[in-house]
Parts: sequence; structure tokens; C-alpha cells
Amino acid sequence: MWTLAKKILLHDRIKFAVASAGVSISVMLVLVQIGLYFGFMRTASTLIDHARADVWVTKAASENFDFSTPLDDRTYYRVASTPGVARAERMILAFAQLKLDSGADLGVQVIGIEPHARLMAPWNVIDGDVSRLGEPGAITVDASEWDKLHLKDVGHRTEIGGVRARVAAVTEGIRSFTTSPLVFTDLISARAFTRLPDEAENYVLVELAPGAAPARVVAALRQIPHVDAYVADEMSARTQAYWSSRTGVGAGFFMTAILGIIVGLVVVGQILYNGTLQHLREYGTLKAMGARNSAVVRVILYQALISAVVGFLLGGGLAVGARAAMAGANLSVALTPGLFVATAIVTAVMCTLASLLSIIKVLRLDPASVFKV
Amino acid sequence: MIPATSSTPPLAELRGIGKTYGTGEHAVDALVGADLAIYPGEVMLIEGPSGSGKTTLISILGLLLRATTGSIRIGDREVAQLGERDLPALRAKTFGFVFQGFNLFPALTALENVALAIRMKDGKAKDPEGQARALLERVGLGPRAHHLPADLSGGQKQRVAIARALGGDPPILVGDEPTAALDTKTALSVMELLRGLASEHGRAVVVVTHDPRLERFADRVVRVEDGRIESNLPRLAQAS
Repeated sequence: MWTLAKKILLHDRIKFAVASAGVSISVMLVLVQIGLYFGFMRTASTLIDHARADVWVTKAASENFDFSTPLDDRTYYRVASTPGVARAERMILAFAQLKLDSGADLGVQVIGIEPHARLMAPWNVIDGDVSRLGEPGAITVDASEWDKLHLKDVGHRTEIGGVRARVAAVTEGIRSFTTSPLVFTDLISARAFTRLPDEAENYVLVELAPGAAPARVVAALRQIPHVDAYVADEMSARTQAYWSSRTGVGAGFFMTAILGIIVGLVVVGQILYNGTLQHLREYGTLKAMGARNSAVVRVILYQALISAVVGFLLGGGLAVGARAAMAGANLSVALTPGLFVATAIVTAVMCTLASLLSIIKVLRLDPASVFKV
Repeated sequence: MIPATSSTPPLAELRGIGKTYGTGEHAVDALVGADLAIYPGEVMLIEGPSGSGKTTLISILGLLLRATTGSIRIGDREVAQLGERDLPALRAKTFGFVFQGFNLFPALTALENVALAIRMKDGKAKDPEGQARALLERVGLGPRAHHLPADLSGGQKQRVAIARALGGDPPILVGDEPTAALDTKTALSVMELLRGLASEHGRAVVVVTHDPRLERFADRVVRVEDGRIESNLPRLAQAS
């Protein structure tokens, strides 16, 4: 049956090419759209995922990680003295304006961290000296934002929020979901850049004492007035869920992916159905000769699966190419093994569904019809 | 070989077969009270004008269509007692079909077309390719086994279709105008082949045709008109 299915498909190479193109475009759309979504979601929670904090403490009712309400130092001290907390570090995350060489301002997201911070620090440092972040106005900037910020080299001087800043180190691959460049600095400079009061911060990052139960410590931290606490995974998921559901980003990507599946469904369905009509007399002959419906249906299903496999391989290749092209535009397409497996299953189901019309046609085919010329 | 119609049991027997299409005012009697027995080794021609009921008759004989009235016996089995699920297996075991339009898969070679039919008839068939090769040799197409239908002449295609119909060694071959699309010389050679298959192997060949030149290959000619079998005579008796 495999041989028959393969030969029927390959006999008309143009139709097979169109079917394969339909499936591959569909596969590519699904992979790229969902890969982009995963990429955006990873970016949305990148700071949380790269931090070494076990628990994040934030102002109560702060829904969005990037736009949280400030806490004060009294909260920090209460967190630090909570049983089960081995270490607590303050972190600022707020927006400010960076002065470009042209005189224009550009919004940046300032991350203020403790001197010698262990729970949150810039990663992937490719140039400069990150230990100098404690110096007044010292910042790190990501290489991907270099041109956007009109920066020339390590040591380049600029202003953030009207305060002098100097590039101390360059990182790679630290990008923000909000598209504003992420700038690491110490707490004092961050407060100056963002005009936060001296004793204000946005988060307190917690490292649990060995053996401390995260749920118990979180519950204790939530006893502090006007404070919420989340274990790191929960904080990450919450941040992703906010951007995904509140902004419609998730729905947008998934809708395009579904459109891709519909395109593939229609193209493959059309090609298979035409092929079935074209061979109806031959299928009828096989049925007349005693072939069971299941045998004839298998021939059609195998054609669908061959189209799925070829289309998936081509579409997967196109998606990998698209990822490389989009990387140049600072777009992250997260093509995970799980996504490939899920898309392969979706493609097989899509092609099987596309063959349903053909299968119904063959099942309803009266073998006596072969006598009607 | 002229079959013995009195002492040899028939391979298939139709008794009082009627077929009505539609119901009520729109009912059309395509076949009325048809009796027919098919004997081993005979070539039977079924003739009649278009719309006379020939195709309905062979469709019912070939178990492709259920009769409205009457009964069919295949060997010692009463078809009326069989369920729909049992019919494909009995059909595969008993009948091979040959069509005017050949109905070969264009993407498959002659050998593959025949082997496919063998496989479809019996999923456990031993060496379908070997069987297909032997059948193609038998119809004189051994050297053309690996050609696609598009590379074969009409007569060669029909020979492939006959080889395919012989897959599984069915005792009855049913042909629906198998020579209609062929020139005279090729048509006669195809009928010669069918005649030979009946004579040498005790197989029955039932052919629907409009072509009176084929009568010389027949043992019996059945004439159908307006849904009734008007005559069912041995050819020689008909000629006299």
C-alpha cells in the first residue's frame, strides 16, 4: 500500500510539489509563530529566569513585572529577617530616558542591583568589567542595543534621567520584552536615573536557607503588610501569562498558527481529493475485485502521511532558516524539540483530516459504478 | 470445449432475478425474472441494446449489486444468506473483472498493477510479484512487465487488465465490453485469449458486448431486451 500511495503521489510531480509546498508553508507558519511566541515569553521573563532568587517579593497587587509599584527599605528588612530567608537583595526595575548623541531621548529599562549582588547580576558579559558597576553612573548595555543607543565603546559617556552614566561592560543576548534596552547599574545610580526615593526598590529577591520549605517561607512573607511573594517559577509563569493574556499577544500568534493549519488543511485536502477523483475508477476496480474498504482507505491515508512527512521536513527547514533571518532583527524564535514534536503531530493530524473527504468518497464508492463508462 | 450444461454443476446460478431502481411512480424495472447458469469452461456473450439491463445483470452476477427479487447461488453458497461484509471475500475468490476502460493505475507498471490486485484480494498471498509475473507471461506480456500503462497499446493494456483479473485464480471472468475500445484485430486477439483461458482452465468467461463478430468465440449467447432474457442458447443452436 505504501508503494501504491507513494507512486500515485509522485506520478504527478507538480501536484505533489503543490501539496508539499502547502504543508511546508503551514508547518513553517506554525513553527515560526509559536516559536516567536515562546521567544517573546522567554524574553518577558528573562530577568526572572536568569536570577538566582528562590522567591520574589513585590508590592501587593503588582500585576506586571515591568511596571511594578515600589516597596520601601522597611519591607526589605522585614523580608531579610523572616525565618527561612538566608539572603535578601533589593532590586530596582524602572524606566528612564537615555540621552542619545543626537540630543534625543530614548527610553531604557534600568535594573538596579546591590553591590556584589549574588541573586541578580548581568550575564553573558562580553566586554568591559562588570565589577565596576558599583562606581557612580556605571552601566552595562547589551550589544544588540549598541547601535540603537548610539554607543561607541566601553567607557562611552551619556546621561540617563539627566544623570551622568558611563558604559562599564557589554552583555550579549539580554533583551527586554518591552523593547526598551535593559541597562544594569547599582541601586544608588538606578535611584538617581529613575528618580526613585532613596529607600525605594521594586523587588526583594530571596535566597532560601538550606532546608527551608519554599511554600512556608512564601506564606510567612505574605504576612508582611502590602506585600506579595512568589517562588521563582511562579513569578516567571505569572509574568508570561500577563503579557500573553492581557495584551492579546498569545491570541495573535496562535491565531496566525491556526490560519497556517487551515491553509495546509485546504491545500492538502484539495490535492488529495482531486487525486482521489482522478483514480476513482481504479479504486472502484479494486473494490469490485474484493478489496476491502480498509485497504483502499489505507492507500489514501498513506498519501496524506507521505505529504505530511515531506511537508514537515521542508517546513521545518524553512522555519530554521526563518529563525536565522529573524535573529538579525533581534527577534527570538524559540524552536524547541518539544515544539517540533508537537508540530509533527499537528501536521499528521492536519493531513489525516485533509484526507477525510477523499476517504468518505471512496467509502461511498459503489463498486458496481466501475461498469458505468 | 463446449461445456456440459446438464451434468456439470454450474459455477453460478441466477434464478428469477429482478432489479427495480427507485420506488413508487419512479420505479424502473431494470431486470425481470432473469434465470442464468454459468458453467465451467464456457464463454458466454451477453448482448442487447443499450439500456436493456446487461450491465445490471452482470453487476448482480458479479455480486456488485443486490437483486430486488430472486436468488443467486455461487458454487454451493446461497448469496442471500451472506451479509454485506462477506461479499467482498466471496467476490474476490470467485470473480475477476475486465473493463472497457482498462482501469489500470497509471502510476504503476503492468507488474505492479497485477501484483496490487493479488495483494488486495488476499493480504496473505505468497509472492504476489512472482504470481503477477507468471500471469503476465500467460497473457503474452512478460517482456512488458515493467512498462507503465501509458507506454502500452490498447490491446496490451487490456491484456494487463486480464492478467489482473486472473489474480487469485477466480473461476469466473466477467468482462464489460472489454473489446469496445480496441481495433478489430486487437479485439479478436483479446477474445482469443479469453477463449483460451476458458478452454484450457475450465474457467467461465462472461462478456457483455455489442459486437456480433465476437460470437464465434462464444459457447452461448444470451440476449437481453427490456430487462428480460429473450434468448439463452448455445451458439451453434442460435446459428441454426
